[in-house]
Amino acid sequence: MGNFSVITVSREVESLGDEVALRLSRVLGYELINREQWMALLEGHSPALSPEPPEEEGERERWMAEVGRLLEELAEKRAFVLLGRGGQKLLARCARAFHLLVVAPVPVRLRRIMERYRQDEVTASRILAEQDRQRERFLLRFFGVDWRNPLHYHFVLNTAFYDVEESCQLVLEAMKRTRPPSSGQQESFFTREGFLEKPVVFSHPSEEEFARILDFYGIRWLYEPRTFPLEWDSEGNVVEAFAPDFYLPDFDLFIELTTQKQRLTWRKNRKVRKLKELYPEVKIKVVYARDYEHILRKFDLEDNHE
Amino acid sequence: MSDPRLGVRVFTREEIQRRVEEVAHEIDRDYRGERPVLIVILRGAVYFAVDLTRALTIPFDLDFMALSPFRLGLRRAEIEKDVDVDLKGRHVLILEDIVDTGLTLNFLVRNLERRLPQSVRVCSFLNCPVRRIAEVEVHYFCFEIPDIYVVGYGLDFRGDFRNLQEVYALYDPSGRSTQVLKRMGKGR
Repeated sequence: MGNFSVITVSREVESLGDEVALRLSRVLGYELINREQWMALLEGHSPALSPEPPEEEGERERWMAEVGRLLEELAEKRAFVLLGRGGQKLLARCARAFHLLVVAPVPVRLRRIMERYRQDEVTASRILAEQDRQRERFLLRFFGVDWRNPLHYHFVLNTAFYDVEESCQLVLEAMKRTRPPSSGQQESFFTREGFLEKPVVFSHPSEEEFARILDFYGIRWLYEPRTFPLEWDSEGNVVEAFAPDFYLPDFDLFIELTTQKQRLTWRKNRKVRKLKELYPEVKIKVVYARDYEHILRKFDLEDNHE
Repeated sequence: MSDPRLGVRVFTREEIQRRVEEVAHEIDRDYRGERPVLIVILRGAVYFAVDLTRALTIPFDLDFMALSPFRLGLRRAEIEKDVDVDLKGRHVLILEDIVDTGLTLNFLVRNLERRLPQSVRVCSFLNCPVRRIAEVEVHYFCFEIPDIYVVGYGLDFRGDFRNLQEVYALYDPSGRSTQVLKRMGKGR
């Protein structure tokens, strides 16, 4: 269909996402990869891959890279509809993949559960809340994504207004009309969580760890986005400048991280003082080694640094 | 306490009790005629919350929240224990043990504000603004502390010292904490 040989379907519980995925696979003649096929696919891989992402982060990164490669190779050979499994994240960089999110309002999903399973409202609402929570946790924990964020998808479909057949028609129309992304564009659209254009190369491991702490709490940051000239020669050339490590746009705050001993920070302090004099509107905070130790101690990370 | 990991005593039991009661009076005054939801952030704030709520005279609902601790391998903070009450239209008062970087609290406030409460305020036993990274407003606090690591009255170091009834600085071999506390008039 158009430019896409793969459709990933993410769906809220009882949003008709499963039915839409099945119908799409039949209409298009694409293979449907649901939980059973997923397990067979990963277990049949050599070496076999676990169907769920591993808990340990290093292993999980390797698993994601391996599974992503496997899916991209599969997309070269076969057309398929991937139901759930974090497909929108695993295939975020794949230009052949169309990412679909199927949602429906809570009362609609609640009614569907009550009818389908013949449950009262209380039981149905508990089931819905529990399953929503499980799904949210799975994707947040293993893939680090807020999966309901519409920016992870080409198309978001609310099935409160359409039945399965109408939903499929809308998805097919959307797929037909979606322009192929230019080189690198798709990656940028679906993988950028923060403001960063490209992967950051940190100049110190402490900066990388600090960035992870910020990510953990959902605080957006930029790495060394601005260099402040501090001194000029007689011809107007900049002879001294300062680029604070982080900028936190939500707080309009620059952060300079230093792990040097306090007595060695005089040069940095001088630069910060100068910056404050020349750019009084700029908010900057220096996180000294002892502040950083406090942060690490608070987050029980100091053993990794001693 | 004779644990070698402990340094100077920062706040005595009496000082803590007096300040907790004063803060409770402030809350009583500000929430008169209301029934706020007090959300205790597990686990450190439990000790403070028990004493504070005993000193309150206004009616309130009490609930608890726990956030997943930062650990390698977990990409995003998660609410591990959520409140049971509906916060829509309610006055929410978060009870914390300490606000320092503000990272945890900023996350919690953003999360709670999405539930459309009438207001969200923060009450912390300790406030350490010099360590602040994320902006958060602390509406009530018992003590402001300088850049030192403290334990006791719910605050722990690797799980220890929570149950101390007084607040101590963690032993700092550089002597810096002691000097800072001396300037505050604290010390042995």
